[in-house]
This record gives sequence, structure tokens and C-alpha cells, in this order.
Amino acid sequence: MKPIPNFILHRPETLEEALKLLSELEGSRPIAGGTDLLIGLREGDCKAKHLVDLGLAKELRYIREDEGMIRIGSTTTLAQVVESRLINAKAPVLSEASSLVGSVQIRNLATIGGNLCNASPGADTAPPLLVLGAEVTIASRNGSKSMTLSELFAGPNRAKLASGELLTEIYFPVTPAGSGASFQKLGRRKGCTLSLINAAAYLEMNGEACREARVAFGACAPTPMRVLDAEVLLRGVKLDIKAIEDVSSACYGLVQPSTRAHARASEEYRREMSCVLMRRALTEAWQRARRNMR
Amino acid sequence: MKISFTLNGKKAEVETSTNQTLLDLLRDDLGVKSVKKGCEAGECGACTVLLDGKPVTSCLILAPQVENRHVTTVEGLVEDELMGALREAFMEDGAIQCGFCTPGVLLSAYALLKENPKPTELEVKKSIEGNICRCTGYFKIIEAVMDAAERADT
Repeated sequence: MKPIPNFILHRPETLEEALKLLSELEGSRPIAGGTDLLIGLREGDCKAKHLVDLGLAKELRYIREDEGMIRIGSTTTLAQVVESRLINAKAPVLSEASSLVGSVQIRNLATIGGNLCNASPGADTAPPLLVLGAEVTIASRNGSKSMTLSELFAGPNRAKLASGELLTEIYFPVTPAGSGASFQKLGRRKGCTLSLINAAAYLEMNGEACREARVAFGACAPTPMRVLDAEVLLRGVKLDIKAIEDVSSACYGLVQPSTRAHARASEEYRREMSCVLMRRALTEAWQRARRNMR
Repeated sequence: MKISFTLNGKKAEVETSTNQTLLDLLRDDLGVKSVKKGCEAGECGACTVLLDGKPVTSCLILAPQVENRHVTTVEGLVEDELMGALREAFMEDGAIQCGFCTPGVLLSAYALLKENPKPTELEVKKSIEGNICRCTGYFKIIEAVMDAAERADT
């Protein structure tokens, strides 16, 4: 097979040094897990004169809770997310989704920040983070800023990052009692597969009424997306199987899957499956929310 | 450029280039031929090695990235008791056909049993999800891993 075209490799040990390199070197790209980037370089889909390896900057690799927020460093591997006691206890929907990305070998390399910055429309960590209300921190030499995860997704395989900018952290609030979330994925096979479509739902219950609802799809639009029109149909409503059925069916007309003939699945199939996955996601989120009442 | 890392318990100092993968370094320069070159895209798992004890696809790692780290292949586990149990179970249970995927599968199974000595069948399946067997001998492989877990226990 084709060799990987040559480049200069930099291995900074701090974030500050990495940001300096990325801002000063023309044609530089960060490399985190490398599981997408190295394939892209080999295939010629992307080019880099300089690669800035983030692997030695330990300050970007952590999972912690502080003041009601769960914070994940961007180069935390998906395996670390899957195994994290904190994530399993407080945001199991994220560890479930992460456990379905690639294989063991890939999850030991691939990072959560890389999964988001590559901005695949079907990225499995995106829908759960969208419904958890995640925001991201973007750092550059001039300082750092925040944006919502929805804002980060600029287009298919395109993150809203200027050159010299790095995603450093993903954070979201700890969910309250009475809440529950679910991730659902449909691929060609059960294991080790790309999503033809994926979905996540988050519900917060107040007795029988739904106090807050957030739903999201992947691979159903140019970017992973929240479906605000479906959320409105759930908020403040007394939830039952009928309500869940109605909202799920409405997804057929609310998603905007690709119409390209060579897409992994047809537009029609994705519309149909969006209803099925949303029904499963809402049903499980609802069950979990009721179990989570205190 | 020169890098140094631990290969199968021994210090290795080698000349490499930034765009050489760990897979090519192991096979072409260090003669470690148990690590197979399959898809070179992280999908088949034939190039699996243990990096600091965790299975990874060596085709998606740049050689300089293993600086100061521990790389293990089946050659480094010849004397290992658990790998011995796996090897025997694989041979006796007919879990090897053409053998191309075998070193990678053995390493994935080894990493599983190290952390989880009594896995369920589902856990075994999940642990080898990243290793494709073109002979499709999955059932025998799963049986052999379960069998090895029992052998290692007694």
C-alpha cells in the first residue's frame, strides 16, 4: 500500500508549546489518536507539512468532576471514557456510546476530542454529548473561548476551528435526579461498525410530566444535530407510550439525511430508521429517568 | 531519527523516520514477523501489538510515538504462562486455520484474560471484535479463549 507522505513530527510536552507550534508552523496539523488522520494522510485526503503530536501533553488527558460539571480533556482515549467510574456513574450514556466506536484496538488509541473534531456526521460520541448539553473549550495562543458542541460542527467532517486553535476540553453539567438518557446505534453489523444512523435522548421527569427533553441524531444531516422541534413536543407533556410514539414518528419529517446516491444508506431508509431509533432511545431514557427518581 | 523503546522486555534503540509506522518498523527493520500487515487502516487487527499492555493496531501508530514505551508481541510471551495456556487451547481446540490472524487474536485474548480471568462469552466476543479472521473460525476461537481461561485457572 501507499506509504504515508513525509512530514516533520513535533512532540511537545505541554499545551502551551503545542499551541505555539501550531500557530507558527505553516501547514501544521495536530495529531491525537491518529486513527483517522493517518489513514487520511496515506490516502491523500488530507495533507500536513508538520504534525504536532498531542500525546505527550498529559494536561489534556483527564476526566474529573468539579462544581457540578464533568470535564473531559480532549486527548482522553475512548477506552478511558468507557472505563471511567465517574462517567459510568454520572453519564453512562457517554460510556455506552464510546464503547461502540471501532474496536478495542481503536478505542485504546482514538480520543474523544479527535472524534468530535473530525466531525463525522455519524460520530458516535456526538449525539450523547449533544443531549447532555456539552460545550467545548477552544484554546489558541491568544487565549481560550467556549462554544456549544452544536456550534463546533460546521459541516460534514468540518469543525469550526481556525488554524492554530485546539479543542482542549469537553464539559457538561452533572444530570439531576429524575433524569435518564439513552444512545441507540444502527450499523451494518452488531460489532465494530460505523453508524448508518445513531440517536440519543435525554429526559428529565417531574412526576409523570417531562420537565426537560433533548434529542439528537447522527448521520441524519450534514452534522450531528439536536432536533429542537421534537424536543418542544416533549417538554411539559405527561409522558406515556403514545406520546413517545407520536414524537418518534414526527422525526421522519424532521431529520435531513443526505440524498447522495453513494451514501451508506438511502435517505428514505434513514428517515424510517430515525423513527425506530428515537422510539428506542426515548423509551429507555424514560425508564432510566423513572428509576432515577429520588 | 533515533528512538528507544522496550520491545518484548528488551531495550531497543533503532533508526526510524517520522512517517514509518510501528508495523513497518517491527516487520521490516526488526524482523518481528508475527505482526502481520493486513488492511493498514485499523480494521483487520492482524497488526495488533500490546502497547503498555493494551492492544492497539500498529499500522496506525507512528514509530517515533512509541519512544520510552513498552511494545509486546507474541515473541515476547513465549515463556508466559497465560500465553502458554492460550497457545495450547488454540492448538488443541482447532482455533487456528490459516494462522494469519492468530498472533493478533492471541494478543487481544491475552489482554482480556490479564484483566478479566473469567470472562463471559460476550466479553470474549467483544475483546476480539477488532480481529478479523478470514477463515471465519470465530466459534473455535471463542471456545479456545474460554478454554484457556479455565486452563490458566487450574
